[in-house]
Amino acid sequence: MSRVSRERVEDALFRAGYWLLFAVILLPILVVFVTSFQQGEYITFPPNEYSLKWYRQFFASEEWLSAVRDSFVIGVGASLLSTVLGVTGSLAVQRSDSVLTRVLPPIILLPLLLPPVVIGLTLLIYVNRIGITSTYLRIVVAHTLWATPLVFFVMQSVFARFDWSLRDAGMDLGGHPLRVFYHVVLPNVRSGVLISAVVAFIVSLQEFIMALFLRSYQVKTVPVLAWTSLQSALTPMVSVVSAFLVLTSIVGVLVAAAVMNMEWLAEQL
Amino acid sequence: MATESMFAWLGRRIKRQDAGSVLLVAPLAAFELVFFVVPFLILVRMSLNANVDPGFYASAFTLDAYRAVLESGLYRDLIVFSFKLGVIATVIAVLLALFYAYAAYRATGLRKSLLLFSVILPLLTTLVVKTYAWRPLLAPNGVLNDLLIDIGVISSPIQFAPGMVGTVVGQVYIVFPYAVLAIYSVLSTMDWDTVEAARDLGASRPRSFFEVVVPEALPGIAVATVVSFAWSVGAYAAPSQLGSGQQTTFAMEIESLMLTQLDWPTGAAFSILMLGGMLVVSLGVMRLFTGSIGGVQDV
Repeated sequence: MSRVSRERVEDALFRAGYWLLFAVILLPILVVFVTSFQQGEYITFPPNEYSLKWYRQFFASEEWLSAVRDSFVIGVGASLLSTVLGVTGSLAVQRSDSVLTRVLPPIILLPLLLPPVVIGLTLLIYVNRIGITSTYLRIVVAHTLWATPLVFFVMQSVFARFDWSLRDAGMDLGGHPLRVFYHVVLPNVRSGVLISAVVAFIVSLQEFIMALFLRSYQVKTVPVLAWTSLQSALTPMVSVVSAFLVLTSIVGVLVAAAVMNMEWLAEQL
Repeated sequence: MATESMFAWLGRRIKRQDAGSVLLVAPLAAFELVFFVVPFLILVRMSLNANVDPGFYASAFTLDAYRAVLESGLYRDLIVFSFKLGVIATVIAVLLALFYAYAAYRATGLRKSLLLFSVILPLLTTLVVKTYAWRPLLAPNGVLNDLLIDIGVISSPIQFAPGMVGTVVGQVYIVFPYAVLAIYSVLSTMDWDTVEAARDLGASRPRSFFEVVVPEALPGIAVATVVSFAWSVGAYAAPSQLGSGQQTTFAMEIESLMLTQLDWPTGAAFSILMLGGMLVVSLGVMRLFTGSIGGVQDV
């Protein structure tokens, strides 16, 4: 076989390989969307008949709507907390070389690398011991452990691109550090902060193993309720809920992408 | 004398940095200490207590819980299965991810965006959805079986899920995006000219891939391996949703120990033993990879 024809075969195989993987990766998400419109009681793919029946039931269900509310409250809480901790921590590590700032990043990263079941268990023992009774607070703390490293490392790269001489100039002109941060640093890193907050919200919205350990009868997030209802039956209701979760994340990412592009646009003009 | 100089050193350190940084880092440091470091110390302490009755334990310093885990044949099987699933899922996920990350690195324009988007979308999707959506696909009367029967590969349906195949597929699907991004982030800094050079010198494409691209991507492959492994050994969602009941991991047993049997010391001891085992394997993998990178760095 000549070199050219062999390369043509290699090219074709390479391309077929990654497009096949591409299709397989998106297949489950397609299944979720399509089966959410099905008519029957049990999931079949592709469905025999289509209807909006399960969407109507979702919006009529007190249980699901309260799970949406719980997920939202916890997501906003975890997003705010991890953004504040991650942004201030990242700023400190960026501007100083103390021992603490070198020890901290690996500790922040560690929760992401441990099995979530172990973190859920660890926190369950802990919150029972020290008496944190609010389910919201318990899960917000758990999700903040996961979201903070993401905020922290996004902000590390954002701050690394910031021209710190601008801040130093502000300080030299006698500005109070907070004032300088608000007027000089923040406008330059605003989109980074917003993206971190969106990512943190999405992480919290989707996480379910820690939330499963720390839930209570009154408070459970959407993925936890989906999980527990899956234990009894494979109903299209879970597809509706899943479609909702996926869509919320896509909207979040699009918002973040729009902000990024706005910044890019602003730089071009 | 030694303490004195240590304090002097500490004093110099503290003086050197501005007080603002200390204030800024304090909330994060306090949070990690209160909600991560201390809870872990309490987990360790809990593992040394004696189990009395469901929900009750006696404060003690005993290794009984560890002994209970190590001596039980059932738990040993769970440990072996968890590590087996970890290795199988990691090998498959990292190999596929290397291929896919390379494809994304080579692609341009819209194709590159599509390939990266397909990795980010599952990353933003809950574990519940990722595992559950495979059920109608892999079931005996599911899409894959229908397809295989239609094209005549098999004559009667195979039970992919619930079962081992389903568990592995589900777990690979969960860790794949992380593995791709870890490898892609390293590849994206690689200069394509080095590969071109290898080609110009007569290397075939597979050879230039294995001898130029793979060594360059090794740090990313190492991270992908460790992350995939840690997550797969601790697998919970995929084996519960797509396994047949024989695919039980230690994570599923811990959930049952804690939430059903309320046996806290054993649950804690089991976690610590598994973390220890995972740490040893992860360090071994890192050593393996840095060993082979070390040769390059010496040059």
